[in-house]
Amino acid sequence: MIQFNQVSKRYTGGFEALKNLSFQIETGELVFLAGHSGAGKSTLLRLVAGIDRPTAGSVVVNGQNLASIRSGALPFLRRHIGLIFQDHKILFDRTVFDNVMLPLDIVGYDRREAGRRARAALDKVGLLGREKMSPISLSGGEQQRLCIARAVVHRPSVLLADEPTGNLDRAYALDIMELFKSFHQVGVTIVISAHDESLMADYGRRILRLNKGQFTQ
Amino acid sequence: MTHWLRLHYLALLTTLRLLATNPLSSLFNLLVIGIAVALPLGLYTLVSNLQGMAGQLPTEPQASVFLQTDASAADVARIQALLASDANVKQSRHIDKTQALKDLEQTSGMGDLLAGLGNNPLPDSFELTLKQGDANTLAELSTRLKADSAVEHIQLDSEWAQRLSSIVSLGHEAAITVAGLFGAALLLITANLIRMQILTRREEIEVSKLIGATDSFIRRPFLYLAAVQGVLGSLVGIGLVAVGLSRLNGPVAKLAGLYGQSFQLSLPALATLALSLLCVAALSLAGASLSVRKHLRLLDT
Repeated sequence: MIQFNQVSKRYTGGFEALKNLSFQIETGELVFLAGHSGAGKSTLLRLVAGIDRPTAGSVVVNGQNLASIRSGALPFLRRHIGLIFQDHKILFDRTVFDNVMLPLDIVGYDRREAGRRARAALDKVGLLGREKMSPISLSGGEQQRLCIARAVVHRPSVLLADEPTGNLDRAYALDIMELFKSFHQVGVTIVISAHDESLMADYGRRILRLNKGQFTQ
Repeated sequence: MTHWLRLHYLALLTTLRLLATNPLSSLFNLLVIGIAVALPLGLYTLVSNLQGMAGQLPTEPQASVFLQTDASAADVARIQALLASDANVKQSRHIDKTQALKDLEQTSGMGDLLAGLGNNPLPDSFELTLKQGDANTLAELSTRLKADSAVEHIQLDSEWAQRLSSIVSLGHEAAITVAGLFGAALLLITANLIRMQILTRREEIEVSKLIGATDSFIRRPFLYLAAVQGVLGSLVGIGLVAVGLSRLNGPVAKLAGLYGQSFQLSLPALATLALSLLCVAALSLAGASLSVRKHLRLLDT
């Protein structure tokens, strides 16, 4: 599903975020990405989502090489990917429900069917009762769950989560990990990055450890 | 097809939401566009009304012949005969000087003042309709008549109609120039309005792009917004012109009455208004598309 071949990423200004990385993630796999801040976790996820392009090497997602993809084709690739951001990137000018509707509106989904799906996604993350509220009234953990609902509402085949538990206390973080586990059980390929490895150990999944842009064991 | 329509329906919905969430600034934007439309449209309206009026004026060359104030009845009769026999004079009408004074007293309201004058300051005169009004024939006529010592002055009356018509065509040119300038201004105004909209919705655009929105999905609501603003703004502009005309119409009717005419300013034909509305919408769209193109590239992720 995701394949990196000798991928390097150098940002303008010369900072080399990733150095010659090669790895593969199978369809339906749940993989953790560990490392300190600045190790290159976010850069790696940005390459998978096609937000950045690699300086060298090839990034193949869903059979498409993102190093050479037309920018016009990127939106259609991203519709197969659910993105969960550490800073949530929730839109505060609309209700909880409308935030979740956004990915479906972008695809031009039938409104009634879309509403049904959005409510199902909100139900999944335990926010169904709050759909008419403004996201500003949600706690940090709830905002993170809203972000997850928005990421899964269009049923992507890949879920990328950048530090989804970064700012949450442990009980909340475990809640969120359980959510990811349930998505994994229905066959979604999931990559979760975190700087705190203690959460990952319980799950017995593959852990990719990054340090200064390279894998360590 | 229904999918495509749905996307457009959603874009229109977003547009209306944008307009409704900031009613005051939307109103100001419409006023700005309205004023930019009203100035050239108003000028055009005035000029074309004037043109319509100039079109009603007699096109046959007319001239007036004024006699000396002390011309006698015999002089008048002699000149009258002279005019009747002239090949270039189609028709002549004698205006008696006492009659002229009475008319002046009635129309000018200066009766008291005129009554205070010892004798009639007005001369006898003739109103001529000529067969040809060019400078040469007029000069010939003038020399022939001036040979008679009783003739004081000859004036080509249709001259002012010609002047009016050249002023009108000048006004027409001015209206076109002003319309061009304001068209350019409108383009820049919309480009700027849309730029501000893009900047205020920057976050939404970034998030939408991250979750798979195509460029056209992002662009569409802004283009709709520009078109809707253009159409509503033109309606505001037309409204402003209509209000202006109705304010001017009272004084205009009075002025026209002084010249013994009845004249009303009216809005241009519906087709002209529709055309200007389309032009404004097209200019707004062009401005928006310039702005969207430039700023979405800057926001590219």
